[in-house]
Amino acid sequence: MSLYPVFARPRSLDQAGEVLGSLSSGAMIIAGGQEVMPSVNYGMLMPEVYVDIGQVKELRGITEADGAIHIGALTVHRDVQDSDVTRSQVPLLAYAAAQVGGGWQVHNRGTIGGNIVSMHPLYDIVPSLLALDAEVDVLKDGTVDRVSLSDLMKDASHGLGSEALLVRVVIKPMPSGAGWAYEKLKITAGGYGSANAAAIVAMDGDKIASLRLVVGAVSELPQDLSQVLSNCFGQVWSDSLASALEAKVCDAISNPLSDHQGDGNWRKAMAGVVARRAVAAAIAKAR
Amino acid sequence: MEDMLEDTVLVNLRINGKPHELEIPPHTSLLDLLRDDLNLTGTHMGCMTGHCGACTVSIDGRVAKSCITLAATLGRAKITTIEGLTKEDGTLSAVQHAFWDEAGFQCAFCAPGMLLCTSELLEGNPDPTDEDIEKALAGNLCRCTGYQSIRRAVKAAIASNKQAAE
Repeated sequence: MSLYPVFARPRSLDQAGEVLGSLSSGAMIIAGGQEVMPSVNYGMLMPEVYVDIGQVKELRGITEADGAIHIGALTVHRDVQDSDVTRSQVPLLAYAAAQVGGGWQVHNRGTIGGNIVSMHPLYDIVPSLLALDAEVDVLKDGTVDRVSLSDLMKDASHGLGSEALLVRVVIKPMPSGAGWAYEKLKITAGGYGSANAAAIVAMDGDKIASLRLVVGAVSELPQDLSQVLSNCFGQVWSDSLASALEAKVCDAISNPLSDHQGDGNWRKAMAGVVARRAVAAAIAKAR
Repeated sequence: MEDMLEDTVLVNLRINGKPHELEIPPHTSLLDLLRDDLNLTGTHMGCMTGHCGACTVSIDGRVAKSCITLAATLGRAKITTIEGLTKEDGTLSAVQHAFWDEAGFQCAFCAPGMLLCTSELLEGNPDPTDEDIEKALAGNLCRCTGYQSIRRAVKAAIASNKQAAE
């Protein structure tokens, strides 16, 4: 093995799978580089092989197929924000992609695939994808399998593994009339929030018919709290229901993060605050 | 698969209009390539994490942070650095002139990001709102905190472009 890293440029999905399968855990997939390069620059990551997937056409583009939206893993945040398909069919995701830190420079290079596989607790894309029940296509051992993102996220410490490749994200369009919101509480310099919440609400008259709520940036992984809040169904949104929801969300965060974005107890409290704000904003938008 | 692994990578970049064929080690960042190999030191090295924006360049018409861009992944990209904003006759572009007139720089360490982001903004949107301006410049830190004069400079560039279009 060379002292310096070597480089591989697969030209197709098949080739990418073969290259990744033939290499050891020292291989690092690189696309936009926005996740990998800061760690390389600070010596926290020393890849032996960079596998540049930028030439793999199958990983590009936003398309509609079989009643779903397919977003290629190489799609950058700027395109998720600006695409007519995402803006009209999954506006929650388009909005969340615009909240990613680092400005246009990062939005122009950072990819949806990189954002997901990094499984970083503070990142902005996954809470919305979980609220949307997104699935992902993963290439491993020569076959592409579709798995739910929530299943994939359960094993965050191991992630995808160095021999697998995230190919695309598959999302069903949001139901017409559904209200949505993504609330990011940002109190520190830099791009990260201290708590965030993605909500999707369907209303039946003035009553809540269904509610999806995912809270992020407060624990190791974004938490889907939709089940915890099922008693909101059939109820009219009111100050007392809002307070009850806030309390339930706080209680559900058992092991809050304590880091530069704030200490654990405060983060737990803020989880409730962003959840309440997101649900209220989503209800205001629902028809 | 061993034959797929390259010790050096050939890139054909068009930088500020000039073609460059370069054989580079795989771990070279675009920032190092520009500053060390081509002596284009207008692109500044700041945080090396993608926070500050001092290393901003434009890649195929879109701004990017060169310190967190691996040069080997760029293939045949067209790159504009802050040196490439000047017109061919050596005079300042409208955006550069507006920053000059409105004292949009104090130390000018953040100038690459502020100028290239403003240029990209005005190319796509001749009449941006205050919110559009903030979004376009959000990836840049001015360590002199001269944000108000930077905002004035962007507005002066908008006005000067409109005047030129009339």
